Amino acid sequence: MLELAALLPLAAPALPLDEAGKYVAGAYIVFMVLLVVYVAIMAAKLGRIERELRDVAEIAERNKDDQAAPGREAEEAAPRV
Amino acid sequence: MYGKGLKPLSIATVAMLAVSLSLVFFYAPLDADQGFIQKIFYVHVPLAIVALVGFIIGGIFAIAHLRTNNRKWDAYSYVSIHISVIFGVAVLITGAIWAKASWGHWWVWDEPTLVSFLIVFLLYATYYPFRYAIEDRDRQARYASVFAVTAGAFVPLNFMAVRMAQSLVHPRTFATAEGGMPGEMMLAFLCMLVAIGLLWTTLVKFELTAKSASGQVKRLRRALDAPVAGGSSRIAPEVN
Repeated sequence: MLELAALLPLAAPALPLDEAGKYVAGAYIVFMVLLVVYVAIMAAKLGRIERELRDVAEIAERNKDDQAAPGREAEEAAPRV
Repeated sequence: MYGKGLKPLSIATVAMLAVSLSLVFFYAPLDADQGFIQKIFYVHVPLAIVALVGFIIGGIFAIAHLRTNNRKWDAYSYVSIHISVIFGVAVLITGAIWAKASWGHWWVWDEPTLVSFLIVFLLYATYYPFRYAIEDRDRQARYASVFAVTAGAFVPLNFMAVRMAQSLVHPRTFATAEGGMPGEMMLAFLCMLVAIGLLWTTLVKFELTAKSASGQVKRLRRALDAPVAGGSSRIAPEVN
């Protein structure tokens, strides 16, 4: 039985753990890095959407103020006596 | 609308990934032939399966777009293909790492499984310039859908051709002639497949939600009669 166990490494030409480990780690790191890069790109996109939304909100508020105070504009435009 | 259910889906994806990775590294036994290096299989093969299924799903959405002329399906098709291409990059890189460790080469040109996946990947890589080359948005969506249907039909044909071909060194995942996978390995593999499938679905929903939000902001700007800052991408379809 012990002889058979001693022959096992010859029958299984696997890379030793210290050498195989770096390849396995490399493969899983590639997967994780791609995921993180994707999430980072999406975060940048969401940041841009947020900025655009802020601009739109400012425009909407400005329009609302302009509509709310038409009398003031007319007053300013009227000639003073 | 697109963001509905995104939070529970994201939580389920993270939980499933954590469980699957634990099973891969602490439960599944070491392969008698390849040893520890075989652990790459649990990320490489599910990514490949999900990417190929994603391409087919992109084709199905494209059929829905051509039938209904609803731009929503074009966006679904585009996003499905987009995420599958990203998964395809991961498949090619993890496969090359595994090949280097197992066979001593980063790439083997006379292996049908590798070359056929590369052909499918390159085919879908042309989707972006193809889409970008067309200015008119309606024509762009229509032509892109025709492309997605044709390429989507090519994927299963290509898969069957590879299965029927005489493989030189690449193993078959569901081979039963030589005993197949042990139960523990199969469980870890299936969990990982579900986790990667959930990840694909989450990313598709995430991308669609971002596109929808961007589309809504542009609509709002147009309604306020203000110029759109930054311009819009001509490749990616807008979702309202």
